[in-house]
Amino acid sequence: MIAFSAVAGIVRRDLRRAARQPSRLIGGLARPFVWLLLVASGYNAIANPGTGGSYREFVFPGVIIMACLFGSALTAVSTVYDREFGMLRLMLASPAGPAVVLAGRAVSATAVGLLQGLVVLAAAPLVMSITVRQVLLAALAIVLASFVSALLGLLVAARLRSVENFAGIINVLLFPMLFISGALYPASGLPPLLRWIARVNPVTHMVELVRSALGQPTDLSPPANLLALVSFALITFVLASLLFDPEQRFIGRPAQSRP
Amino acid sequence: MSEAAVAAEGLGRDYGSTRALDGLTLRVEAGQQVGLLGPNGAGKTTAMLLLATLLRPTRGHARVFGQDVVQERRAARRRLGLVFQEPTVDPFLTVRENLDFAAALAGLDRRQARDAITVALQRMGLVTFAERRARELSGGWRRLADIARATLHAPSLLILDEPTVGLDPEHRAALWHFLDALRRDQGTAVLFSTHYLAEAEGADAVVLLSGGTVVDRGSPAELMRPFGSSVLEVEGPGVPALVSALEGRALAEMLVHTPTGCRIALAAHREQALELAGSVPGITRAVLRQPSLEDVYFARTSASALRGQPV
Repeated sequence: MIAFSAVAGIVRRDLRRAARQPSRLIGGLARPFVWLLLVASGYNAIANPGTGGSYREFVFPGVIIMACLFGSALTAVSTVYDREFGMLRLMLASPAGPAVVLAGRAVSATAVGLLQGLVVLAAAPLVMSITVRQVLLAALAIVLASFVSALLGLLVAARLRSVENFAGIINVLLFPMLFISGALYPASGLPPLLRWIARVNPVTHMVELVRSALGQPTDLSPPANLLALVSFALITFVLASLLFDPEQRFIGRPAQSRP
Repeated sequence: MSEAAVAAEGLGRDYGSTRALDGLTLRVEAGQQVGLLGPNGAGKTTAMLLLATLLRPTRGHARVFGQDVVQERRAARRRLGLVFQEPTVDPFLTVRENLDFAAALAGLDRRQARDAITVALQRMGLVTFAERRARELSGGWRRLADIARATLHAPSLLILDEPTVGLDPEHRAALWHFLDALRRDQGTAVLFSTHYLAEAEGADAVVLLSGGTVVDRGSPAELMRPFGSSVLEVEGPGVPALVSALEGRALAEMLVHTPTGCRIALAAHREQALELAGSVPGITRAVLRQPSLEDVYFARTSASALRGQPV
């Protein structure tokens, strides 16, 4: 009961915050649409992904995942703000416990990524012909992709001490994961080492799930992608729970008393 | 007999090789108000985080209403209300939404939460601010909202780490008024730290920490007793001369050096001492007053108070 009430409370708060900072939501959507409208238009003329369709069609699932990944992961990483301003301590001091705090945060970050992914998905008719069944399957894939991205963000947040590292996270973690995932160009053209990394990269499986939903060819079957993502989610949740331990890592040294 | 709000024995915590808190033995009875005093880095915050179940002790153990702060920390947390040094209110949420969030974390259901929030808003005089975003509030109101937040689940023990820091006198008075009312009406025990020592003079007991160890403890009256009935506070280059003159006539009971001068607990003959202070050159300030907890604080905690022993 307390777990449910705490998760609901955390989600209510996070969604209120998100709604009151619309610039962040809009900014989050700018990235995929810039890619879709500007970059993909340019590449459309020179690139042939070798999958039958145009480059714009090829990149569309990748751009959806871009929206989920950045939307969810960055929302989750904003947990670091809470640590800086003491809100995290407040949450961890509640009887509910760290795993519940983590779960609440995962749910709200998932919601943000899901929303952004769905907005991009809604632009599908501009890019390709799409059936209702494909939309529904893609929406399910977006839910899972957002959830896994949220957990990834929480795992990062568990080790992050200050929000100044945000840009670093984006450039050092999220962009490489996106690049080595077959989202923006086929992974089959990568060198063997990167191809191997692509195989264990959760983003690859997110992109493939959306591709399958939209009827595009993939390396692995959807059940294999699902298995990979669920395993990754479990491992990440356990790791993040351990790192969320209020003692030491999350609270750290108490701030020195002010004079 | 009812269980103690806090029963700590030899409670200590290290950070690497730094001993933040050495071994704190502390008992706070239900309904008592106890102050932790001491300079920055004395271990007050560490002690409070340990009792708040947010840090794991390196040694010793503690119970909050009989619940071990490590083994039974979830049960202990239900009895605890915490106010940290920095106000923990979300600036993007309204006051009511902040309270709603805290109520959810504490496990109150929707109806309990609504009732508790109504009561807390009224008690703290926050009703007119309820729908305002926290970032629009002044620091004082934000702090009162923070305390309302900590009391929603009717905790039996409130732990407040420097709750009045940076507040104007009105908000400080409102805060203490509220804590006193809470203790009177609900028997809430209060463990607090403060640098405004006068605030601790109304406490049932005071624990003075310095360098991670307890250097003195007792009721404020007990602690001030060695200072007798009056203290002469002097400043200026003539202080050493005045001190030796007073000591020569056996007028000084106890000396406490402070960064700006000297505090002298007087034996009898206050007028004689004051006269002497007027006649010694180089005394820029001389005030005769009753002893305060600040005298005890300087005597027990400052490095400059090496002579703070009875002479």
